[in-house]
Amino acid sequence: MYMNTNSTRLALGEAHQHKVLVMTTPNVHVRFWIITMMLVLVGLSTLKLR
Amino acid sequence: MLLELARWLAQDIRAFHVFDYITLRAVLATLTALAISFIVGPGMIRKLTEYKVGQSVRDDGPQTHLVKAGTPTMGGALILVAIAISTLLWADLHNRFVWVVLITTLGFGAIGWVDDYRKVVYKNPKGLSAGAKYFWQSVIGLGVAIFIYKTAASPVETTLIVPFIKAWTLPLGAVGFILLSYLVIVGSSNAVNLTDGLDGLAILPTVMVGSALAIFAYVAGHLYFSKYLGIPYVAGAGELMVFCAAMAGAGLGFLWFNAYPAEVFMGDVGALALGAALGVVAVIVRQEIVLFIMGGVFVMETFSVAIQVLYFKYTKKRTGTGKRIFLMAPLHHHYEQKGWKETQVVVRFWIITMMLVLVGLSTLKLR
Repeated sequence: MYMNTNSTRLALGEAHQHKVLVMTTPNVHVRFWIITMMLVLVGLSTLKLR
Repeated sequence: MLLELARWLAQDIRAFHVFDYITLRAVLATLTALAISFIVGPGMIRKLTEYKVGQSVRDDGPQTHLVKAGTPTMGGALILVAIAISTLLWADLHNRFVWVVLITTLGFGAIGWVDDYRKVVYKNPKGLSAGAKYFWQSVIGLGVAIFIYKTAASPVETTLIVPFIKAWTLPLGAVGFILLSYLVIVGSSNAVNLTDGLDGLAILPTVMVGSALAIFAYVAGHLYFSKYLGIPYVAGAGELMVFCAAMAGAGLGFLWFNAYPAEVFMGDVGALALGAALGVVAVIVRQEIVLFIMGGVFVMETFSVAIQVLYFKYTKKRTGTGKRIFLMAPLHHHYEQKGWKETQVVVRFWIITMMLVLVGLSTLKLR
């Protein structure tokens, strides 16, 4: 199932479903958690960097 | 290394003073280690696969694990490279604790490397003999314990701190301190190694415990915060926050490839090194008991093996037939045998670690 957008073509609508096509579900979960952890860290660094 | 450069540049451009802050360098160390893992990881996995550095799966383990045979191992080398480069870049290299922790980590990593190398390259299933492994672990563990004792700047650096009870402290003396430190470093190293049996099971608890120890290191190395929170002040320990942060970044980077189904295993080279790193940081910041609490999953896994073996031997001696308490040891296999999926065991053990780390962190305030 594919969804056409103006600029690109994503397999399935949301990003996590797109990834499911090439990775297993636990892989997607863990990698998205890691990305979130890093983004939280970047967010926290704004406490110091201003 | 970059701190020196920043200090030199700060003579002309004041903005570079920002790198004097340990917290900022810790964040940068995490991101650097993570970036190194992402850049080096895929190539390393390709090479390990190419050279057929594949894990052999124990034939007495769960049958579901047989499909894992051949997955590249020794990925712990990736973690060690990322930690070492990131720490050397961002930590203050004049700090003795940074070198103690780095050398301990790489030393235990070298033991694990030899063990893994003999197993997977020479196809020697025994690897390094148990005696040789414990001998070298003991040499490094005792050496580090003696060094920390000899270079301690104040009596509080060799005193056992009891969490939750501010008034209870136990001066250990030379023998007590060296013995306890040795047991914590070697015990922690082997405990993480025993836990490393399912995809992602050992690495995220290591990251979580390491991150909590980073906070302890920061507080212990800060004159004002340590006094305010009533924990021992260890001058220079704050710099270990950079090391712990690098370990967290490298660990998360490794988890990217180690998440179920794993593309690579860390092997003894990673597990022994990371466990020893946690142990030696806990010793320096005087939080051995808190490490025992936060690393509860590692402790449970180790005790499950000890209890299983002792009970089996005891019942065999008494009745002639060995009996088991757990369906299989270490504990993660017991739950797999009970019908939990591998990913369920892993995530539930992660959740337990998160809770235990929170309990450990609460000792900062509750005393």
